[in-house]
Amino acid sequence: MWKNYWLMAVRNLLKRKLYTTINITGLAAGIACFILLALYLENEWTYDKWHTNISELYRLRMDYGEKGEPVTHTALTPSALSAAIKDFPEVKQVVRVYGVNATVKYGEKVMNEDKFVYADAPFFQMFSFPLLSGNAAAVLNGPGMVVLSRRTAEKYFGQEDPVGKTITINGRTSLQVTGVAENPPSNTHLKFDFIASYSTLQYKDRWGSANYYTYVRLNKADMAGSLHSRLSSMAMAQLPEEARNSGLTYDFTPEPVSGLHLDSIAQDQPEESGDKRYNYIFSLVAVMLLIIACVNFMNLATARAAERGREVGVRKTLGAERGQLFWQFIAESALITFIAVVLGMLLAALLLPAFNNLADKQLQFGGIAGYRIYLLLAAAFFITSFLTGTYPALFLSGFRPVQVLKGKVNGPKGDNLRRSLVVFQFAASAFFIICTLAVGRQLHYIQHKKLGQERDHLLVLEGWKEDVNKLQAFKNKLMQQAGIVNVTASPNSPMSIEGGYTLGNIEGKQPTYEMSVTALPVEKDYIKTMGINLMSGEDLTDADIQDVLKADSLKVYHFFLNETAVRLLGWTPETATGKRLQMNGRVGSVKGVMKDFHFASMKSKIKPLVIFPEYDWFNQVIVKTSGNNDREMIAGIEKVWNEYLPQTPFSFRFMDQDFNRLYKTEYRVAAILNTFSIVVMLVSCLGLLGLAALTTQQRTKEIGIRKVMGASVASVVMLLSRDFIKLVVIALILAAPLSWYIISHWLEGFAYHTTLNAGVFLGAAVLAVSVALVTVSLQTVKAALTNPVISLKSE
Amino acid sequence: MIELRKISKHYPVGFGRNEILKDVDLTIQEGEFVSIMGPSGSGKSTLLHIMGLLEEPSGGEYLFQGERVDRMNEKKRTQLHRGAIGFVFQAYHLIDELTVYENIETPLLYKNVSSSERKSRVADVLDRFNMVAKKDLFPSQLSGGQQQLVGIARAIVAEPRVILADEPTGNLHSDQAKVIMELFRTLNEQDKITIVQVTHSDLNATYGNRIIQIRDGHIQG
Repeated sequence: MWKNYWLMAVRNLLKRKLYTTINITGLAAGIACFILLALYLENEWTYDKWHTNISELYRLRMDYGEKGEPVTHTALTPSALSAAIKDFPEVKQVVRVYGVNATVKYGEKVMNEDKFVYADAPFFQMFSFPLLSGNAAAVLNGPGMVVLSRRTAEKYFGQEDPVGKTITINGRTSLQVTGVAENPPSNTHLKFDFIASYSTLQYKDRWGSANYYTYVRLNKADMAGSLHSRLSSMAMAQLPEEARNSGLTYDFTPEPVSGLHLDSIAQDQPEESGDKRYNYIFSLVAVMLLIIACVNFMNLATARAAERGREVGVRKTLGAERGQLFWQFIAESALITFIAVVLGMLLAALLLPAFNNLADKQLQFGGIAGYRIYLLLAAAFFITSFLTGTYPALFLSGFRPVQVLKGKVNGPKGDNLRRSLVVFQFAASAFFIICTLAVGRQLHYIQHKKLGQERDHLLVLEGWKEDVNKLQAFKNKLMQQAGIVNVTASPNSPMSIEGGYTLGNIEGKQPTYEMSVTALPVEKDYIKTMGINLMSGEDLTDADIQDVLKADSLKVYHFFLNETAVRLLGWTPETATGKRLQMNGRVGSVKGVMKDFHFASMKSKIKPLVIFPEYDWFNQVIVKTSGNNDREMIAGIEKVWNEYLPQTPFSFRFMDQDFNRLYKTEYRVAAILNTFSIVVMLVSCLGLLGLAALTTQQRTKEIGIRKVMGASVASVVMLLSRDFIKLVVIALILAAPLSWYIISHWLEGFAYHTTLNAGVFLGAAVLAVSVALVTVSLQTVKAALTNPVISLKSE
Repeated sequence: MIELRKISKHYPVGFGRNEILKDVDLTIQEGEFVSIMGPSGSGKSTLLHIMGLLEEPSGGEYLFQGERVDRMNEKKRTQLHRGAIGFVFQAYHLIDELTVYENIETPLLYKNVSSSERKSRVADVLDRFNMVAKKDLFPSQLSGGQQQLVGIARAIVAEPRVILADEPTGNLHSDQAKVIMELFRTLNEQDKITIVQVTHSDLNATYGNRIIQIRDGHIQG
């Protein structure tokens, strides 16, 4: 019996090629996207959860803020925290992790490395990164030791055994390789290539600066609460009396490592965090895609009821029971689904590299949780077969033979359901199109909003490690090159200034008055190079620079405040200049007021900012070019760089990249959303195409008669398309309010955002209707052009 | 074998109803070859459908081999379709996706006949109808007359007691029709299968041993 079912199924598929192609293509596309998104979500949801001791692992977050100000949460903590808590009864182990950029040298190989961290000895005992060689307890157990990731070991040592070899860091420190670790998986927030022993640094423990991640392993998983209260009282005890009285908050909070990727509220993460909301959206997209593909199947299967109904009738008169017919139809959809699943898997495997690129992940089939994806696929197969098979099977197997044999099949009920399903599909498509357009609009807005400072034609040369005195000579040499307009330097990117400082002893304020600001030490030509507008005061002079190069006690600082800072201090740009103040011990006065510009993501409002010359250290040199002959110019800059810094490999980036990195998540989400909206739309259109084909076929006679009566081709096309377009319009009307709600919500996450206007909805409407129209026309025009003699004869 | 008592059939039309059959009494004995005749719309096809359990009468009693079937459930009805009744249709109604062999085999599949017995029975029927050479062809590759032969082969392969034929030669030209009618006669006389056919043709009606005239839902005379 089953042989007969399969035989029927195969012959049916081969006979109705358009129908089969539509079904299989749609389902395969749906399944491929489903697999890709499932891999992505699997990666997101399993972040760091694979560590053996995960329930006992926490990272300490620092929370601080002034009275009345919002509290700042940061993942970076002072280095002294570790020693202060290691004897707490809750704490089993503490590990500090300190990330740096380093230039690594082994033999002839010199490379800049950005995944270089220092960590305390128990790192490999606390976390479950597998070691390929070396003992977890010993590999970091003393100064001058380093563990390499497998890929790094291969990069530097090739076939050689790296253990026992020595590498040189920044031309100064020698480290001995004590072990090789398996490459960190893509689902961990700690992605290292080098882990050197923290004791190598020989830093004194300090409370004054917070640059270290502090990880704690608890004695028992349920001790986080009591650790937190102990940490809170310790933090308060650290504060000086007057600070405590002024209402300053200061606290450390344990955050579970399992939730760092998606739940942590801390800034300054070692890796860009995930976003739960986007994960929910992607889950929705994955399920929707599958449902839409299934809907195609159901729609086409029931639309073909007239054709298949006759067979049902005949089989019933031959003694078939309803159950037997039911299973026959299930077999058919299972066959289609099976082919689609296989194709979908192949497609997913084929598209995985492109998707990884899009999603900025290194996903692969297999891996730690590999078997789960096959379970999921099996589940998807059964659910899809069931979903797609059951309804048509019930629908078709229920026909009474006499109705069928008399030719009465399509009741109005089936038609309405089909229409509703098409509306549902297009509502989903329209929803995604509207979201895609709106997200694109916001990103366009961000790209084109005037920042208030330059970001074009700016090159950032990374890894300046030489003395600041050498900088002037380097600068002069660069300025001699044609096409270079300005050169300056700063410790980190102008696109995301993050340094936290405090203003105090402000002229005209109470001595106890303090204000938190963001500040950036800069080189003399910074304001000019970055094109920052001054509202009052003058740009820096050589004399100003001399002031900060003096011996510590004699130094005089020159501060530039932005508009927001000046306003918060109750000044105006005119009255601000010359006002004396201190910033973290730096004594000086206001040199000028800068017009507000964006120095961080537009998700938050512009905050008070101070820019001041200080020649302690610069990490990067910023070069402003005229914008011509970039390639030649970069070669010229590289030559000069190699002359001055032969030990450091030349590497550069464009300032634009820094800017775009601020919206990396948004760009990624937009890219994924774009791609999958297109797939949703295409799959929906496939369904529409199939439906249009069937409807046109069923109306062949009507078309023939109308043409004999003198109907024009255009009027016939109109007649046939009208019904479909009506459905698409209904879908749009349904999708608009929901997408409006979601998008408005999303836009509120940006302090600076566009407004939603009718344009987005109109754009989506035009797109959806025209795509639907084109799809339907593929069938209707052909039908309308057919000679009525042929179509009437066929009846 | 077939006994209809005061069978009536009507469909609702608007607020009224359309009477198709009115108080039909009819008895058909085992081994008869009956032709039902009458103009279009007289109710002859409906009568046949009711005999074949494809339609339920609105009133009256129907006894098939002495058993009340007008109130049978679907399961029992299916049993009768499998074992006792074979259908032949004007439009043949072969399954397009199945070969001649597979079309004939289908009723046996639903009857759960073993594979080896299916083979021998289908082979017998093919042999008898001289269609062995055509067994792997699909219906679309056959002429109308040949398709109807397959239709009849399919109807008798499960060895039914009665064959109900709805204008079996309606789509055929006279030469083919003659072949089919001869076949019916043979089946009736040699195999003792009861045959009820609906027909327009006086000539075809002569193959049977009884003619029932139906007009406006009533049996005449």
